[in-house]
Amino acid sequence: MPRAVRGVLIECDPSVKAIILKYDEERHDYIVEDLDDDRHLVIKESQLQNLKYRLGKELDDKVMQPDESESE
Amino acid sequence: MAAAPSRPFDYLEGLPGTVFFKLYQQPSTALAIFRRMLPDLAKCFVMALLYLKDPLPAGDLEGWVKSGSIKERDNALSILGRLHILSNTVTSDNVRAYMVTNPFSTSLRQALTGAEQTQSFGVLAQIPPQSAVPIPELDEYARRQWEGVLGYMVGTSGLGAQREAGLSKGVKQLLQAGHLVEVRDRRVEITQDGFAFVLQDVSTQVWHILILYVESAEAIGMDSVEVLSFLFLLSSLELGKSYEKRNLTSNQLRTLTDLTDFGIVYQDSTEATHFYPTRLATTLTSDSSTLSNPIAGSLTGPTGTSSGGSKAGTGFIIIETNYRLYAYTSSPLQISLIALFTTLKYRFPNLLTGKITRQSIRRAIEMGITADQIISYLSTHAHPQMRKHNASRATSNQAGIPSVLPPTVVDQIRLWQLERDRVKATPGFLFKDFVSLTEYEAPCRYAEEIGVLVWKSHKKRMFFVTRHEQVAAFLRSRK
Repeated sequence: MPRAVRGVLIECDPSVKAIILKYDEERHDYIVEDLDDDRHLVIKESQLQNLKYRLGKELDDKVMQPDESESE
Repeated sequence: MAAAPSRPFDYLEGLPGTVFFKLYQQPSTALAIFRRMLPDLAKCFVMALLYLKDPLPAGDLEGWVKSGSIKERDNALSILGRLHILSNTVTSDNVRAYMVTNPFSTSLRQALTGAEQTQSFGVLAQIPPQSAVPIPELDEYARRQWEGVLGYMVGTSGLGAQREAGLSKGVKQLLQAGHLVEVRDRRVEITQDGFAFVLQDVSTQVWHILILYVESAEAIGMDSVEVLSFLFLLSSLELGKSYEKRNLTSNQLRTLTDLTDFGIVYQDSTEATHFYPTRLATTLTSDSSTLSNPIAGSLTGPTGTSSGGSKAGTGFIIIETNYRLYAYTSSPLQISLIALFTTLKYRFPNLLTGKITRQSIRRAIEMGITADQIISYLSTHAHPQMRKHNASRATSNQAGIPSVLPPTVVDQIRLWQLERDRVKATPGFLFKDFVSLTEYEAPCRYAEEIGVLVWKSHKKRMFFVTRHEQVAAFLRSRK
């Protein structure tokens, strides 16, 4: 019997997906369904803002950015 | 030019059928909808059916369209249906048929061939030609008022050059009610929607404001249908002519006063016996969007008086492949818009230089501006030299718009945005637990056809849709 589940489809890079999976392992409170390819998963609607915030913060800390010099 | 799906269309589509019935009583409304909202094919259908007394069998009408263009045909028919112009009926011998709905057909026939009652298109005022307000003055008035509205939103007063263009309290309240600005501690702050708004072209902006106005009309005790049909009336008036106010109702007079604040109509004073529509009003429902260029041009032009210039000569921004930006403008409004996403460097009397950097784009995106908005703003206002330079290698981007900007810059702005938005989130519904592949395939294909499918996997027998009602109904119907 087919079912429909409410959620938010997340499309992202494999690296980002790995991070989301890691978050979910803590308390299993993010993921509704892992869609078994590298780039997609369905998460709970209520967690979207929280997830975006956590991701933004973590990646800003970890990803290196080249310095932009104000001179030419 | 086919009218693209637009905000006014979306708004109209959401109205109940009874509202359409009232709206279509006015020939000016019927004509305006016909001119502005319909794709060419839909216009053909309406014209062909307009003078038919009996419904036309659906097969006959559908036979006019080549089999290769069925998509266009269905699109045209669906738009006509959604605007309550075409109705499905049956002929006397029970064949499915189309016919143009009644108040619309009567009104459009009246608009085309004239009728005794002509008030629907305004009544010309009899005034001596020497005391009439000339068109350049009307343009100047419209430009000043509209730039005043935009300037109020982006807070150009910070640059010290903008005098308030006499914005009334009603205008400010409307902008607030539409969530385009917020007032915090008596200071005006622009919202995300506001940013999207100021970067749009002028005719889209005017429609946006007018729809906000119609929506708020009920709250201040006016009939929104009456206001809406008055707007369509205004749009059918002729630029440079003045019109009588005598035969307007009190609500229409009130609307007229409010629209004067936006520069959409001009009147000498509220006691004047006649009014002039400005270019902002007369291009509202015109089919060609280029007509609004003189206004857009004078809005963006370096001195604000270049409206006499050629249509192509309205852009003023040059971007080089090294992300440096030169803007030939002295308009405080344009400067503060450019400053939203550029690191400014030097400012000369008629020239502004700056650089698009990762930080400046990130700052803009954090404020809620999207990369696409920035790109569309830059290409709308690209300098004629950039168009000339790129015309030789006119490549089209995904959206089909010939790109006038250096591709590196466009791509990089998008990449900088992606860096911020690492995930793309689509709320919706996941369908799963299908027993067999055949059971999965039919609803999946159906979801794709009605355009709600976002993701599917044959292997897992799951698919994701943005709306579930129709798919669920489809599943039930197959039981």
